[in-house]
Amino acid sequence: MSLLVIIAKDLRLLFRDRVALVFILLAPIVVISVAGFSLASLYGGDSSGQTAYDLPIVNEDGGDLAHQIAERLATDATVRVREIATREQAERLVASKAVGSALVIPAGTAAALAAGQPAHVLLYTDPVKYLERLNVRLRVLQTRDALADSERARVAKNIEQQRDSLRAQLEHLGKAVRDARSELEAAKVESQRESQELGQSAARAYNAEVARIRADVEKQIDQQVRALSAQVQSELAARVDELRAPARDYLDALDKARAAFEKWFGDLERLAGRRAEQIPQPPTFPEPPPDLVRALDAPLPPLSLPAHLEIRIEPRAPKPVAAPALPDIDLDVPNLDVPPAPSLGATLGVEEVSVGGGKTINSFDQQVPGFSVTFLLLGLLLGVSLGLLDERDWGTFDRIRATPMAPRNVLLGKLAARFIVGMAQMILLFAVGYFVFGVSLGPQPWALLLPISGIVFAGTAFGLIVAGIARTRDAVLPLGAIVIMSMAAIGGCWWPIDLEPRWMRTIALALPTTWAMESFNDLMIRLRGVDAALKPTAVLVAYGLVYLALGLWLFRRRLAPH
Amino acid sequence: MTAPPAISVSRLAVDRGGRRILDEITFDVARGEVCGLLGPNGAGKTTTLGVLSTLLPYEAGEIRIAGHDLRTEKRAVRAAIGRVPQEIAVYPTLTARENALFFARLAGLRGAAARQAAADAIEQVGLEQRADEPAATFSGGMQRRLNLACGLVGGPRILLLDEPTVGVDPQSLERIVTTLRRQAVRGAALLYSTHHMKEAEQLCDRVVLIDHGRVVALGTPQEIVAQAGLQLSADVVTERSLPDRWLEGLDGARVLETHAQGLDETGSFARVSLNELAVVARVLARAEEHGAVRELHVQRPSLHDAFLALTGRALRD
Repeated sequence: MSLLVIIAKDLRLLFRDRVALVFILLAPIVVISVAGFSLASLYGGDSSGQTAYDLPIVNEDGGDLAHQIAERLATDATVRVREIATREQAERLVASKAVGSALVIPAGTAAALAAGQPAHVLLYTDPVKYLERLNVRLRVLQTRDALADSERARVAKNIEQQRDSLRAQLEHLGKAVRDARSELEAAKVESQRESQELGQSAARAYNAEVARIRADVEKQIDQQVRALSAQVQSELAARVDELRAPARDYLDALDKARAAFEKWFGDLERLAGRRAEQIPQPPTFPEPPPDLVRALDAPLPPLSLPAHLEIRIEPRAPKPVAAPALPDIDLDVPNLDVPPAPSLGATLGVEEVSVGGGKTINSFDQQVPGFSVTFLLLGLLLGVSLGLLDERDWGTFDRIRATPMAPRNVLLGKLAARFIVGMAQMILLFAVGYFVFGVSLGPQPWALLLPISGIVFAGTAFGLIVAGIARTRDAVLPLGAIVIMSMAAIGGCWWPIDLEPRWMRTIALALPTTWAMESFNDLMIRLRGVDAALKPTAVLVAYGLVYLALGLWLFRRRLAPH
Repeated sequence: MTAPPAISVSRLAVDRGGRRILDEITFDVARGEVCGLLGPNGAGKTTTLGVLSTLLPYEAGEIRIAGHDLRTEKRAVRAAIGRVPQEIAVYPTLTARENALFFARLAGLRGAAARQAAADAIEQVGLEQRADEPAATFSGGMQRRLNLACGLVGGPRILLLDEPTVGVDPQSLERIVTTLRRQAVRGAALLYSTHHMKEAEQLCDRVVLIDHGRVVALGTPQEIVAQAGLQLSADVVTERSLPDRWLEGLDGARVLETHAQGLDETGSFARVSLNELAVVARVLARAEEHGAVRELHVQRPSLHDAFLALTGRALRD
């Protein structure tokens, strides 16, 4: 809470200091504008086109080629094209330094190109205007390449259209062959099916006839067997009846003899009286066997005949009817690939690939982060060190130290206030860069907060070092100016670090500005994601911690009574 | 049983650069008491207040502030004291109210309590009409009063004031003195460093007079005067130059100093020590006799006289 009191007080002090506000906000915008516009040529111009070169064009050819060239160049913000009448006029404009370059398209250029003949355009240049000459020449060459590419693309498109047509016809032919083959195959299948059906029909008729004949034969045989059976039965019954009559007579006589004997014996016994019991039993007459009696009485059983006569008739099966054979036709589809298009290449083009998909740099992409960091460090250095010196000179620092607030909170509160102001300053300057100067903030603008917070932290802590070294306000400015200017220049805040010699770039690794600019370039120009900001931010925070430790040590030494 | 002193300093010793700045200083200040800390330049007044404010280390001695040991309980001591430094230690671009509010919050007050304490402090020093103007626009006297208000804010139990009236006009001086008296009345203990002897006599209940890092006198202003052994004195201005031995033979009177007076230095100024008031008439008669008296002033010995008597008249760095 007490830390917030210090922060609030310091922010209030800052906002009352108009000069400081101008210094941290307006001054960098002015310097960015001046540097951005004046150094635009180094980066090929600015995106707004306000630093574009004038390029007069003379169309001696009279054809459409000049218009195409003019139209192409008009899309480039770094040149401003206007058509003039004669090549003498173009030469005069360059000689009078009114323009740095002028382009002449000689007569017959378009015709030569159409005929496949080499052709040249003429570029008048002022040798003193070196950068303009380079830039315009580069743009003209790019335009030439673009036109050549366009022409090649047109021819290639025609060839491709012809190839497409040929490919379509071959496709049609192939389709016809494939259809014929399909129809033949279908006919063969149909023929086989019909042949099969015919055979089956003949077999069914044959089998029906066989069955009919078999039934007829069986019927005739059955009739004859039954007639023959009835005759045999009849004759057999007559013969049996003939044999039954004597047997039956014998049996009747036997039955009478037995009845007579029984009457005789009864009379005997009665005559014997009492002596009858002594008469032995006479022998019995045998009874005729019952089977014989039944056989003599029963009708003659019929002859047993089979109920149905199974007649097997296996005539020889008729030969199957063969389907008519269809010839096999070899209808393989030939290779219908269209041969590759003929090569049109006659020139070696250079395709520039921005690794990682980065954009083309313009002056403000360099100047906005560069001078923002420069003025950030100036503001922090002056703000922290002069702020602490002011507190010392006013006596308020000792006054605060005599309150219950921990002394470290006094310092931390002051540093935190400066950190907040530094963050706001950077965010505001980047917003101005985006809205006013059209710089890119990359695919993840929020990722810029990482290196911003890193450099603000490192700068804040560095201000404490200066405050610990400089004993007076007068000492702060020269000391701070030397250190900040060197850090900014070597660290690539004012120009691309690649312009520096290798040994200087090695030294630059020891400066926080280098890491901040590296990270800003990665995010804003190379259009990389937040991953690219992690390592530089970690390095910046590490520098900040080292500066903070050193600054606190120096400041404690300063406070120690002598 | 008497209450323990609000400030208790015993045998305080401070060395700087191999030199002893304070040498066994001992004194107390009770609650509700205004104690003047007097001494010539370089005597050690500011160092004493710096030590008591916890800003400067010390080599030896025992100090208790509001019952807290200064060496081991610095935070508690800081919570008890209000410091009014010699320099105008306020933020020039902040208004009087913002300054007072800031120090109120540092004293641990929050919200409405902090705002009320700031307003009270500003009112006590008579700045309520200009409370919302930046301190940089104030006159020297107003800035002194604001400096005092920032030390008073929150009603500290102990006030350490280092020459808080330097360069102020009589009106501001009167307001500052009145304000400090009120602080004592509410029970605060005030240790008050000043070069203004009249102011000290008017304000202080007791005085600690230090010189060369040592306490040379301690007591009420009257006791200090008595300790210096000073008597009544009379200043005589004459139209003509007085001869060297113009008081010779007059008992109870002794010339302390004499020098020429007037534009053409034809007259004289003489300071005469008197044993008693009755001797004045005879001194007047003798001076009239020799040089035609133009003025005669009789005064009792003051703290200023005692200060000079005890610390000498040699100039200090």
